[in-house]
Amino acid sequence: MASSYWIGDAEGRVLGPVTLDVVQELVSTGRLQDVTRASSDGQRWGPPEQFPEILALLLHAPRPEALLELERQEAGRVWDQLRGMQGKAPHELFHIEQGASVDAYRNAFFKLVKRFYPDRVRAQAHPDLRRAYSDAFHFLSRLMVHIENELAAGRTASAMPTMRVTPLSTPVARPVQPVQFPAPERPKPAMRPLPKTPEPAARPTYEATEFVGLERRDDRVEVTVKVNARNSAMFTQHPLVNLQSGGVFLACHTSLPLGTPVEVVFRFDEPEREIKARGRVILENAGADPRTPVGFGVRLVSFRDAEKNFVQAFLQRVAARR
Amino acid sequence: MATILIVDDDAFVRTLLKDVLEGRGHALLEAEDGREALDVLGERAPQLVLLDLFMPRLSGMEALALMRERWPSARVLVISSLDSERLVSQALEAGAAGYITKPFHPVEITSAVDRALAN
Repeated sequence: MASSYWIGDAEGRVLGPVTLDVVQELVSTGRLQDVTRASSDGQRWGPPEQFPEILALLLHAPRPEALLELERQEAGRVWDQLRGMQGKAPHELFHIEQGASVDAYRNAFFKLVKRFYPDRVRAQAHPDLRRAYSDAFHFLSRLMVHIENELAAGRTASAMPTMRVTPLSTPVARPVQPVQFPAPERPKPAMRPLPKTPEPAARPTYEATEFVGLERRDDRVEVTVKVNARNSAMFTQHPLVNLQSGGVFLACHTSLPLGTPVEVVFRFDEPEREIKARGRVILENAGADPRTPVGFGVRLVSFRDAEKNFVQAFLQRVAARR
Repeated sequence: MATILIVDDDAFVRTLLKDVLEGRGHALLEAEDGREALDVLGERAPQLVLLDLFMPRLSGMEALALMRERWPSARVLVISSLDSERLVSQALEAGAAGYITKPFHPVEITSAVDRALAN
């Protein structure tokens, strides 16, 4: 029987028991990073150097320059693969029965599309790779919507109309032009509230923005706010994003894009206290709506009741003084 | 409707899952790691556990083995960012009812939960 290992990372997380094969697969694909300790029984831990077989895997992880070249080649393969997908009958593409249910199509779609999730690409990756992943993801998302429409109309899911492909320009990087489909025109509102969480809506678009749960910890933007009596309205003044709705509106001239994961550090002046809360930008107003302040709204998701009570008490004190 | 335990060290992921499943009428319990999950299972009896694999204190794989041993009627659905095929096989062999890789789509979660509860 293959030996089992436990792996620990810099954040104190533990994976195990897993076989060396699993560790190898995760390390070589960059899924497992910052390995700081290992164990062969889950009890006694040591640095990776104490486990030559683990250390060998970590040392053989591709170097950054080699990784860039591998990523460029991978981008070429993804664009080739995307060409192969175009015009193919959906059931063939997803390897399922022609008359399969919408659930079967969805399952196969989810399995395939995540391979191309653009944010899986590391931040310093070759730019072609992110583009190739985005192209493939977008194509598959549109295909899934097309399949749902076809099945809802009682038709067999057919291939989408062929999309144009850019002629090959380089031996490897061969981008595919975006799918040329008319998208429904929607007026862009001045304020764009993001739903609490992408709901299993009646009409999902299956685009990458609807997929959640893989935000990198180092992607978060840290925002530090000194809270005092003069600016405490950040918790109350916005009709949509306020303490009652589990959020805060930060009035400032610098906005953050919708969906940005943030860590907000509130520094209260009286009594002095620091509260950290994680959240996500759910609303931005760059000045298009004159009725509300310029800034962005954050939905706080790790805001404990005790911390919320502290803020409420702070606001009551401020109100009593006025 | 069912009682579902979400086990993930990332509060943001727990909230995302909670939002999706509360909207379907399920009652949600939360735990930050495998050890806390076992404590919750000892006190409550969720029909389904959504389990991360890479967590502090007690890993998801260890928690999965203990859950299958002590509470065999509880279904366990793994939700992990680790998308190794071998790891998926290992989790399924250890008794997981399914394996969803992050990032996830709300539709994917609701249909996987419906399937796991129906079985």
